[in-house]
Amino acid sequence: MKRLVGLFLAAILSGAQAKAENLSFVTCPIVRDTKTVPCWLAEYNGETYYLGNQGGVAQDFYPPQLNHRVLVEGAIAGGPRVCGGVPLRPVKTSVLLEIDRACDTILPAEDGIGAPQSPPNRSANSWVRSDGPGNSTLYFDFDNDFLSLHTTNAIQSLVQQFQQSKASAIEVSAYRGSSKLSNGTVMVEQEGIAAARASKVHDILVGLGVPQALVKVQVVTGVREPDGIDDPWSRKIELSVKH
Amino acid sequence: MRKLVVLCLVAAAGVVAIRAQVSAAPFTWLAPGSAAVLPQEMTFDNALGRLGVLNAEGPVETKGNPFFEPLGSNGRACVTCHQPANAMSLSVDTVRERWRATNGKDPLFAAIDGSDNPALPQDRESSHSLLLNRGLIRVGLPWPPSQNPDPEFTIEIVRDPTGVNRDPVWGLKSAKPAVSVFRRPRPATNLKYVLAPDNGPFNVKLGVLLDKDPATGKPVSMNMMADARAGTLAIQAESAYHDHQEGKGHLSQEQLNRIITFESQVYAAQMWDNSAKDLVESGGPGALGPQNLQRETAGVLNSPAKPVFLSFDRWKTDTAFRQSVARGNDIFLNRTFWVRDVAHINSIGLGNPAKRSCAVCHNAVMSGMDRAPGWVDLGTSNFPTWTEPKTENEPGQLPVFKLTCRAAAKPHPFLGRVIYSSDPGRALITGKCADIGAITMGQFRGLAARAPYFSNGSAKNLMELVDYYDRRFDMRLTTQEKEDLVNFLGVL
Repeated sequence: MKRLVGLFLAAILSGAQAKAENLSFVTCPIVRDTKTVPCWLAEYNGETYYLGNQGGVAQDFYPPQLNHRVLVEGAIAGGPRVCGGVPLRPVKTSVLLEIDRACDTILPAEDGIGAPQSPPNRSANSWVRSDGPGNSTLYFDFDNDFLSLHTTNAIQSLVQQFQQSKASAIEVSAYRGSSKLSNGTVMVEQEGIAAARASKVHDILVGLGVPQALVKVQVVTGVREPDGIDDPWSRKIELSVKH
Repeated sequence: MRKLVVLCLVAAAGVVAIRAQVSAAPFTWLAPGSAAVLPQEMTFDNALGRLGVLNAEGPVETKGNPFFEPLGSNGRACVTCHQPANAMSLSVDTVRERWRATNGKDPLFAAIDGSDNPALPQDRESSHSLLLNRGLIRVGLPWPPSQNPDPEFTIEIVRDPTGVNRDPVWGLKSAKPAVSVFRRPRPATNLKYVLAPDNGPFNVKLGVLLDKDPATGKPVSMNMMADARAGTLAIQAESAYHDHQEGKGHLSQEQLNRIITFESQVYAAQMWDNSAKDLVESGGPGALGPQNLQRETAGVLNSPAKPVFLSFDRWKTDTAFRQSVARGNDIFLNRTFWVRDVAHINSIGLGNPAKRSCAVCHNAVMSGMDRAPGWVDLGTSNFPTWTEPKTENEPGQLPVFKLTCRAAAKPHPFLGRVIYSSDPGRALITGKCADIGAITMGQFRGLAARAPYFSNGSAKNLMELVDYYDRRFDMRLTTQEKEDLVNFLGVL
C-alpha cells in the first residue's frame, strides 16, 4: 500500500508531467506589482515564466528574493499566461545564498496584468510528503537546510506518532541533491549540506522529547544522478518511525 | 563615606518625591531603596500628555521589594533603569535630569555600564555621553559568544569612539574578551504580551525550536531582550543583578519571585493626550490605557476581526486630532509598501521584497511586537541603512565593527559576507552571520514617556522614528501621513 501511495505521488509530481516540458534554470527573479498582490516571474531564453504570488509561510510557494539569483525547477503548464508569464506547474524555487546585486527588477503595476486571486493549483507537496503512517519525506531548497512551516509541522506530527505508539526508534536519512539545468549544467549541493540537515532534524526530534539514543541518523554521502525532472526531490530527509 | 552620603541623599530625595505623589502630584524619579507605597493607579506627565501605570494586584510597597532595593554593589536597583514615569524604561530627559540633580553621582551613571567606558574618568559628563545623549546602557557580551564558541564570522573593530572595545581590561583583546554595544533599556511592563510564546514549540521564522524555560521546560517567546539572550524574567533578573548592579553570588529564589511578581502585574500606557484628551473614556478605543492592557488576552495575532490595536473607528468622526490618530492606525494596518532586505522578514519565505503593511511584522495584538520571535535586521545597526553617519569611517558616537563571514557559513541574506555594524545584535549570541544586526522589535506602548527610540536611541522623537521607516523603505509618506502616524503612536 505504502509503495502504491509513493508511486501515485511520483506520478503526480513527475510522471503526469511527462508530456509537459520540464525546465530548470538559474536566473534573477522579477517581482511585478499588481493591483492586488505582487507576483513573481523569471525570464529564461527570451520567455517570461510565472512562478507564483506573494503569499504567507503557510503557502506552498515561498517567493524568491531580489539580490539573489534563483534556481527554478518546474514544468511548463498549459493554459493562458498568468501575470504576464507562462505558468510553471509544479515549480520549486530555491534562493541561491550568495548576494547578486544585479537581481533588482521590480516591475510596476500595469493595466491588464494581474495576479490570480487564488494562485494556480500546484503540488502541495513541495516541502513534505507523507509516505504512510510513521513515514515522511522532507524537501529542501538547494544548498539550504531551512525547514519550512510545513516540514516542522510534519516533524512534530511524527514525534507525536512516535510517542503515542511507543516506537523503538526514529530513523533519519539525510541526502544531498543535485540539479540538471536545461542548458546541461549540473549543480551539486555543497558537501556538508546533508549532515547539516540531519543535525537540524536530530536536534528538533530530541528537543521535542525523543530520547537521543532512539534517533538513528544516517547521512547518505552519494549524490543521485540528476535528470532535470525529479531533481527537487533529491534534496531530502526521510523520516521513519520504527517499531 | 562620601558614597554613603550620596546614597542617603538620593534615597531621601526619593522619599520626599513619593510622599508628594501619594498626596496628589506624581513623582518623576524613584530612587533605589525608597520607602513608599505605590498606588494601584499612577499617572505621570510627559510632553504629549499623561502616562498611566497600573499595579493590577494593588498597591506596591517598595521598601524591601527587591525590584526597588539596591541588591548589588553599586547602589542600583531594577527601578533605576525601569522607572514608572518612563513606562518602566528610561527616557533621556530623565537621565539628564538625574545628572543635573546629582552632579552625575546617581548610581544610574555607574562606571560599569552607565558610562561610555569604565576606564574613563567618571566625573566628566563626556564620559557618559551615550547615556546622556541617547539613553544608552553599555552591554558587554563575551566573545566568542557563549552559545557558539566557533562563530561563523570574525569581528574587527573599525571605530571605537568610547575606547571600551580596545580597552585592555574591557575590550575585545582583554583577558575576558568582550564586545561592547550600547542599547536602550526595555520597558519592564505589559510583560504578559512580551512573554507570550508563539503557538507551538517552533520559531516559525527559522524552522528551529524555541528556547525553553529551564524551570518549566515550556517554550518561551524569545521577545524580551534586544538579542533574545535571556528567555525568562528569572534569567534576565539574575543577569541584570550581575551585569548592571554588580552583584555577587546569586539572587535568592524569594527575591526572584518578588521581582517577577511585581513585573508581571504592572501595565503602562498613555491615558491622556494633550490633543486627543481622555484616552480611556467610556466607549473610546479599546486598546488604549493600562486597564485595557490588563484586560486583553496576550498572544493574539493581528486579524481583520482583531486588529493590532483594535478599533479606532469611533474617532474617525471625532475631533481633528482624533481623526488623525484613526488615520494613523489605518496607515499602520493597511498602507502597503515594499518591505525589503530585512533579514528574518524577507528571508523566511515571504519573498524579498514583500508588499506589506507595518502590521504584518508588528502583528501581536496590543503590543505591536511580533508574535513570533521578533529579531530582525531592520537596518538601524548595519551599514548602509544604519542610523549612523553615511560611511563607516566618519566620526560617530557608536562603535563600528567589521564582521567577515567564513567561507563555509551562510552569508547574511542581504548584506553578504562582509558587514559593518554598530551593533551585531542577535549574532553576538548565536555567532551566525544571518543574525548580524538583528534586534528584537520592542513594544509600542507608553512611547510618549520614553524617548528616544530604536535600540540604539537614534530617533529622538516619534517623527524621527517614522522618518527612518519612510527613508528605509521608500514609503513616500506625505507630511499628513507622517503626522497621522506620529499622533497614533503617541497615544499608545
